Amino acid sequence: MIHVGQADVPLCDGVSRRSFLSAGATAMGLSLPTALELEAAGAVDPAKQKIKNCITLFLVGSPGHLDTWDMKPDAPSDIRGKFKPISTSVPGVQICEHFPRMAQMMDQVALIRSLHHNTGASHENGQRWMMTGHDFNAANIQPHMGSVVSRIYGQKTSLPASIVLPAKIGNTGTSTPHGQASGYLGTAHAPFFLGSDPAVKNFKVANLEPPKGQTEFRINSRRNLLKQLDAIQQKTETSSTIQRDTAYSRAFNLLTSPKTRKAFDPSQETDKLRDRYGRNTFGQSCLLARRLIENGSRFVTVNHFDTVFNVTCWDMHANGSSLDNTYLDYERHLCPQFDQAFTALIEDLQERGLLEDTVVAVLSEFGRTPKLNNRGGRDHYPPAWSNFFVGGGVKGGQVIGSTDKIGAAPHDRPVLPPEVVASVYTAMGIDLETTMMPGPGSRPVRFIEADPIQELFG
Amino acid sequence: MDQKFEGTPKSELRLEGRKVSRSDVTNDWGLRLQWQVKRDGKVIATPAARIEADYTHPDKTPGKYEIVLQMWKYVNYRKNKQREFIDSKFIEISNTVTYTI
Repeated sequence: MIHVGQADVPLCDGVSRRSFLSAGATAMGLSLPTALELEAAGAVDPAKQKIKNCITLFLVGSPGHLDTWDMKPDAPSDIRGKFKPISTSVPGVQICEHFPRMAQMMDQVALIRSLHHNTGASHENGQRWMMTGHDFNAANIQPHMGSVVSRIYGQKTSLPASIVLPAKIGNTGTSTPHGQASGYLGTAHAPFFLGSDPAVKNFKVANLEPPKGQTEFRINSRRNLLKQLDAIQQKTETSSTIQRDTAYSRAFNLLTSPKTRKAFDPSQETDKLRDRYGRNTFGQSCLLARRLIENGSRFVTVNHFDTVFNVTCWDMHANGSSLDNTYLDYERHLCPQFDQAFTALIEDLQERGLLEDTVVAVLSEFGRTPKLNNRGGRDHYPPAWSNFFVGGGVKGGQVIGSTDKIGAAPHDRPVLPPEVVASVYTAMGIDLETTMMPGPGSRPVRFIEADPIQELFG
Repeated sequence: MDQKFEGTPKSELRLEGRKVSRSDVTNDWGLRLQWQVKRDGKVIATPAARIEADYTHPDKTPGKYEIVLQMWKYVNYRKNKQREFIDSKFIEISNTVTYTI
């Protein structure tokens, strides 16, 4: 049965064309409307092949700045905490003793110690600030940086322009958005969420597996059948149908492309390299991020944890209940895990000649209270924190801004989240003055109202 | 998504005088790596082992010394009232070397 319009078109085994295609498109983490709108995202554009890439490592829960990258060894004990600072490859710059590998590569790092924001201390506020550069406005949801990059540059290869690993951020306290959606840019530019753990044995990207019962041969057979059907349809329908078929074609290509599947397969790497990243969810996600950038994705986000509840994560309230992370978690788990994976990523990018064209941004939501709480933890603190950049032509070996003697507030060169986001865009080669986004009524609007941090670009 | 740690980390220790050397860690979980030093059966030090592959314990107090490489094993983050982990713990990932002073 052939149908022209919105109704289903049953295939020979009773599976409708629409449900089959939906399954294929959904299998890629995209809804069918997303696939349809991919056409608007722009096809592979050779003129944009040289654009720089970005990997963001997002530290969900947020490390205490006084326990990591802005230590205050001369402050009173209930402020300075338990860890000691160590020297780094940059004279005069010290970081926490539990980042020994990072200390050796500080000459490549641009460390910002004066980040702050002035809104509420929820995780979600911080996530939105740092991933969109905007405060929350329910009437105008702002897009994730990767969505903006997707909109501006489009896809480079069959891989999605923006990918989030290993999973989207889930429950972090309130039911407001996390800043990892495409917002007003529409679902065509939504990130591809992996939704699988690359650290597990026999890891497969479930979202790239053909629907149950569908072999590659059958998928290709159906593609050929659809071509014949669509040849008929194209004679009778509008150009939107042609666009739809182009999107269908891309969906098939992503579903069946050996190159795509290979890009998502960390087992292609040596055991030694996999060990270097750390055989854990975060480490293997960082490794996968490098593989995806290498194979044509433009913007990869690695979420270090997808929740703050009942797991080891950076959210060190030490509350004795569902938010019970403490110094022990930092010392034994979090800092070593980050140190191992982050430095492996930088070294790996460098050895492959990718670091100059890939900016790596390590971001978090806020800092943590300078004074330890009565259980020895630290609570949310947006007035001051530290994040950093490496690669992508960013000038390393520098500290931008500082906080006061107890890390309570920026002392000099205060930096706001939109400046960080503007810096990511600038590092990727986007001209913030001339590039516009479609605003209400398709009126062109600026997509970030801030200047980049000039010190990063020397 | 709870974190996964696949395989079991392994390393080989070698002793030359008081200097202990480790091989690369295979199946490295990427968590805290430390030397556990015992003297006459009592733990006296747990220095970090991630950066340097060699370690010489500075203490020369007479006694029998045992050194083994340990890595943190994350099971879950539950802690008791003393704020110590209940299920997660350090595990030995190497052979033990011994010497006597």
